[in-house]
Amino acid sequence: MDKKWQYFLTFFVILTLNFALPRMMPGDPFLYISGDENDLTAHYSRDQLEYYREYYGLDQPITIQYFHYLKDIVLGDLGFSYSHRESVSQLILNRLPWSLLLVVSSMVLSLLVGIFLGSYSAWRRNRWNDSVLYTVVMVLSEIPAFLIGLVLLVVFAATLGWFPLSGAKTHFAFYESLLDQGWDIGSHAVLPVITLTIARTGGIYLMVRNSLSTVLTKDYMRTARAKGLKEYRIRYLHALRNALLPLITRIALQLGGLVGGAVLVENVFAYPGLGTLMTTAVAHRDYPLLQGIFLVTGTSVILANFLADSFYQKLDPRVQQGGRKR
Amino acid sequence: MNPIFTKLKHFWLERTLPGKVALLVLLLLMCMAVFAPLLTTMPHHRSSGPALEPPGWPHIMGTDQLGIDLWAMMVHGARVSLAVGIGTALLAGFGGGLLGMVAGWKGGRIDGFIQRLIDVMLALPDLPSMIIIAAFFGSSLRNIIIVLALFSWSRPARILRAGTLSLKEQPYIKMAAYFGAGTGYILKKHLIPELFPLLIISMIRLASMAIVTEASLAFLGLGDPASRSWGLIIHHAVNFQGIYLTPFWKWWLMFPWLFITLLVTALALLGRDLEGMADPRIRQ
Repeated sequence: MDKKWQYFLTFFVILTLNFALPRMMPGDPFLYISGDENDLTAHYSRDQLEYYREYYGLDQPITIQYFHYLKDIVLGDLGFSYSHRESVSQLILNRLPWSLLLVVSSMVLSLLVGIFLGSYSAWRRNRWNDSVLYTVVMVLSEIPAFLIGLVLLVVFAATLGWFPLSGAKTHFAFYESLLDQGWDIGSHAVLPVITLTIARTGGIYLMVRNSLSTVLTKDYMRTARAKGLKEYRIRYLHALRNALLPLITRIALQLGGLVGGAVLVENVFAYPGLGTLMTTAVAHRDYPLLQGIFLVTGTSVILANFLADSFYQKLDPRVQQGGRKR
Repeated sequence: MNPIFTKLKHFWLERTLPGKVALLVLLLLMCMAVFAPLLTTMPHHRSSGPALEPPGWPHIMGTDQLGIDLWAMMVHGARVSLAVGIGTALLAGFGGGLLGMVAGWKGGRIDGFIQRLIDVMLALPDLPSMIIIAAFFGSSLRNIIIVLALFSWSRPARILRAGTLSLKEQPYIKMAAYFGAGTGYILKKHLIPELFPLLIISMIRLASMAIVTEASLAFLGLGDPASRSWGLIIHHAVNFQGIYLTPFWKWWLMFPWLFITLLVTALALLGRDLEGMADPRIRQ
């Protein structure tokens, strides 16, 4: 089966899960609906319940409900969040940039650091500096991201006071210039980004180390040396370039973990991205919002995987359409 | 000498230094979980002193905002973590492992179907999915273990499928099949014993993943409220207003943090060490 179909199938599973979960859960979702944060169990009269069931189409056959659901998603209508009193798609669009800021910058940083450390280790394979680095990075990468975040928060924000404790920008701040604003946002993002970077670097480091060590044993490396090429050309144009190729798909596969890690880390730093939106949705039992976030994060992860796969096929001519090189 | 003892001794001597340390830490934590009621005189589910007491006597690790003894919660929290880790590892390891072996052995349509299922599970972002499922179905400890197993069986399945495919070509297994051995017989007699080390290693990975995820879900407030797991203690501590402006985090946050980190890194290091044993290519 084609790769494309696999991604489509996964997307379909997410859609169906999203549709089926609220209908499978025990109890009645409307018993939880409430306008007020402090009053989570407002009860509706029989008439009101009937009205809501009809309004949400729960009185129709399940197949019709499913088609309505698909139609709404195609039209970009993810429903209405009752705890925020705003449309779910609008809420997600407001919060998405913050999450993207964290995820993208930590992805870039961890790639740079991981490639640097990984190639450092591979050039010195089995010497003491490689084994020390290996152990340190391995232990660090096994500690879950939110626990690392807690330590950074306690040390650098609470004790030393170098960075703000929470949020993405100072509330009610008045910025003199764009630079000022950038500084404020940047200093709020430092700790969450470092946390995610530490959590992700380990995997990339390990891949680069292994893949570069394999490349170093290849014949064309010896040829390059025999030709008398300069050391930096051998290292960067011959070895590293070939070693980084398999990284692309692996990184994309890690993206799901990165999104999950971001959910937790955002909650450590009370960062106003999708992750904190998700936990408030959980706390308020705001199911439409929860489903909307799940749909968006799930779809973006699949999309990224798909893009990386197609990109890889273009970069590496040895991978034919449909089949995967192992 | 007792043969079991010699085997254990060999196992111990084969470990690298990080592996040995990890093994010791794991044994210690397991003892903590098993002998939990003997290790503390304080109750772990109700107040036994003033709130937010710093470590001292009789509360050696201090108390939380309700005056519950932290050490008592730690030793009982070890039970939750280990139950989640072992429960998920057994459920997902045997379930996924069996699926993988059947897929590899049977081939054809069954293999194709299970492979598609594995691919889909690997591509699903697991934490968001688990959050949404836990939010919809409630987060009792049993539910959490089931959800964790549902989202983690694909890795052991993939590993054991690959193992089965390479074993399938072995002459003695082909011979057994020629003599009319059925799938069940071959699984029981050859595949399971042969692939057992692989299964154990992937189960250690599963346990570590499950413990981390349970702690993460509890940290987000989706843990079993009755269980008092380490992650839930962190959740309560972090959500205490102004915790970072007070010295309370020095015990309330630090001890659960320390125990989760110890358990997870120990599992990871042991897993890595055993992987090196099963796959000599990783060994340096």
